[in-house]
Amino acid sequence: MVEELINEILMAAGTLMIVVGAIADLTGSIGLLRFPNFFVRLHAATVGTIWGAFVPLIGAALFAAGYVELGTHRWFVTGGAAVTALLILLLGPVGSHALARASYRSKAAIPYPLIHDALKEKFREGGKE
Amino acid sequence: MRIKKLLVLGSLILLVLTFSLAFARGALGYYPLPLPRVRMLASWYLYTTLNPQYTNFTAMSPVAVAAIVWDYRGLDTLFETAVFFLAVVGALTLMRGVTLKSVLNNANNKDNNYGLSLISKTAARLLTPLIIAVSASIALHGHLTHGGGFQGGSAAAVAPLLVLVIFSVYFLLSRGISEKPMFMLWTAGLLGIYLTTLAAVFIGLLTGLNAYVFQNQPKFDAPVGLPAQISGTLISGSLFFLNIFEYLAVAGEFTLVFILLSMPEEVVKSFISGETYE
Repeated sequence: MVEELINEILMAAGTLMIVVGAIADLTGSIGLLRFPNFFVRLHAATVGTIWGAFVPLIGAALFAAGYVELGTHRWFVTGGAAVTALLILLLGPVGSHALARASYRSKAAIPYPLIHDALKEKFREGGKE
Repeated sequence: MRIKKLLVLGSLILLVLTFSLAFARGALGYYPLPLPRVRMLASWYLYTTLNPQYTNFTAMSPVAVAAIVWDYRGLDTLFETAVFFLAVVGALTLMRGVTLKSVLNNANNKDNNYGLSLISKTAARLLTPLIIAVSASIALHGHLTHGGGFQGGSAAAVAPLLVLVIFSVYFLLSRGISEKPMFMLWTAGLLGIYLTTLAAVFIGLLTGLNAYVFQNQPKFDAPVGLPAQISGTLISGSLFFLNIFEYLAVAGEFTLVFILLSMPEEVVKSFISGETYE
């Protein structure tokens, strides 16, 4: 009885996280199209990687853990989804960081409209990153 | 701009319509499935790939692709390996004598002066062992699941490539991943492939029975074969060893090529024009 309840809760939480992921992906793609310059577009893209990939993968892991009909094989799905989610959590921010840093330093992307550039002031004062 | 977009849209619609018409009219062939005689060949492969009752024909591997690549058409794969070997030898010949030793001794290149930021470097440090582990599992499970030696070796070569991009070629060379060890790894892999292909012949010579080069499981006129299992674990005879050695060879080859490609142009030019000798 308790086990069934736990499974139900796991599946509900998993479904909720997958739905959140779908909404975040939609938001991120709208932002990617509508935002004015590279850096804010990158922000929209990372919304898609963390909220739109990490969260639904954890949701898939929870859902599979609660879905008893899959049998023992559901733990493979859970493990695979969890490992992939952790890798995305680790590597998504690193990738966007490297992209932003390279495009700022090489001046490949012009930050316009720009309100405040703290990094530029820091460079002007002779400071290192 | 608008006309260009309309043209792209129109050509896409035209493509879809043309293909639909072609499918509907049977222009791409009236058989949705392959021809019956091709299907018989495929079912023969599926029937014999792991069939312990059919000792003289089976390859003892549950993956028909691995069995076809290293057993049914093993010689073909051997020649593919040879072609790749020759390609890398060609690249090495172009770059012969070029080393970064003289540049490495320069104090500037020893520090972490090069490469991306600390965040990227930390992530690469965490990720590199993972890549090696995954690639090894691809190669070692090549006879049980999808994958194999070449695929595993190419995945393993991503690890030094990542270090090359995120750190620098000097960092990689100072950690001992230089041309000579990679060349040794590559040679060891090729030697292993060579010895594995001759393993059945050696067994045949020792036992006085008939045997063939590149033989995996016993055949009706050559009753020697490599063991399909070791204490209950399926290793599919020669497939396991061929996958391991191909993994080593391909990982070494790709790393070598990546190191050669990442050498600074000035250094390479100074060697090629004869200004520098080692």
